[in-house]
Amino acid sequence: MTDPRDAVRIPLVGRVLEANDTIAAVVRDELQARGIFAVDLIGAPGSGKTALLEATLRTLAGRRRPAVLVGDLTTRRDGDRLARWCDRVVQISTGEGCHLEAGQVRDALSGLDLDGVDLLFIENVGNLICPVGFDLGQNVKVGLFSLTEGDDKAAKHPYLVTAADLILLNKIDLAPYLTFDRAGFEADVRLLNPTVPILGVSSTTGEGLDGWLDWLDAPKV
Amino acid sequence: MHEFSIAQALADQVLPKVPTGARVREVEVRIGMLRGIEQEAMTMSWQAVTFDTPLAGAALAMDVVPWTISCGECGREWTSAAPFAECECGNATPTPTGSDELDLVSMTVEEGEPE
Repeated sequence: MTDPRDAVRIPLVGRVLEANDTIAAVVRDELQARGIFAVDLIGAPGSGKTALLEATLRTLAGRRRPAVLVGDLTTRRDGDRLARWCDRVVQISTGEGCHLEAGQVRDALSGLDLDGVDLLFIENVGNLICPVGFDLGQNVKVGLFSLTEGDDKAAKHPYLVTAADLILLNKIDLAPYLTFDRAGFEADVRLLNPTVPILGVSSTTGEGLDGWLDWLDAPKV
Repeated sequence: MHEFSIAQALADQVLPKVPTGARVREVEVRIGMLRGIEQEAMTMSWQAVTFDTPLAGAALAMDVVPWTISCGECGREWTSAAPFAECECGNATPTPTGSDELDLVSMTVEEGEPE
């Protein structure tokens, strides 16, 4: 027997992540009103996001007034590390969440003294895929890759490469010990995002950090 | 697994739009290939988040928008599931353009009482 009930197709209009995007827009407006430039730092586990921020905060002392939100599934370890270099750090525990969402950023900011702050780093959960599609109210997304991950990671994670306003390639001090094809890595990036700047850095030796800090002072977006 | 968050956001968006008493047969979304959404994981997540809601049992139809590949050598343009593809003319690096849309499209509901 055929189903006697009539089926009606109802067109729907809207974005699936509209609720997140609405909160992100509020966060962005508030940060802009306070003159705070927000950076969403996205990279794989072990790519050196926290080490980069430690080196960045150390070097920024007296130059900018930063605050940091740092997302992890569990532990306060990254927040504790960063608190050595910055007095405005909030650790966000995502539980089982593989990425940060705008509501978590809004809530974390509500507990942070933003007076005088002009730069906000948001260290996302270590993951090259999930965080990219969630607007946090940031001004820029920075994609962090590292030599130890292998030179194929840009090609394998096109969403981050296309969405990034800057690509940082970390651990360049290890180049003599690895077979990382930097020209090939950069060619993959260029194919996906022809205009994105690519900067090599080493959080360990400090090489390239000046270029990164200069970019933060005058981001090309 | 971002599919779970996306499925939850989708259910939250669609639920208020379900006509009272209607059974939802299908929800349709459009997903750009850039999003990196794994369809099986998305289906599993959708079933999990809609369980015990008015959307329970509704199929999730995913229109996936592929990459567009443009060859700067011969001018050929085609769609592809992957961004890195070689052109028939021999150009090894044609330009990929991906889409990151993640949009609601429709829901199909059954109205009226079954006989």
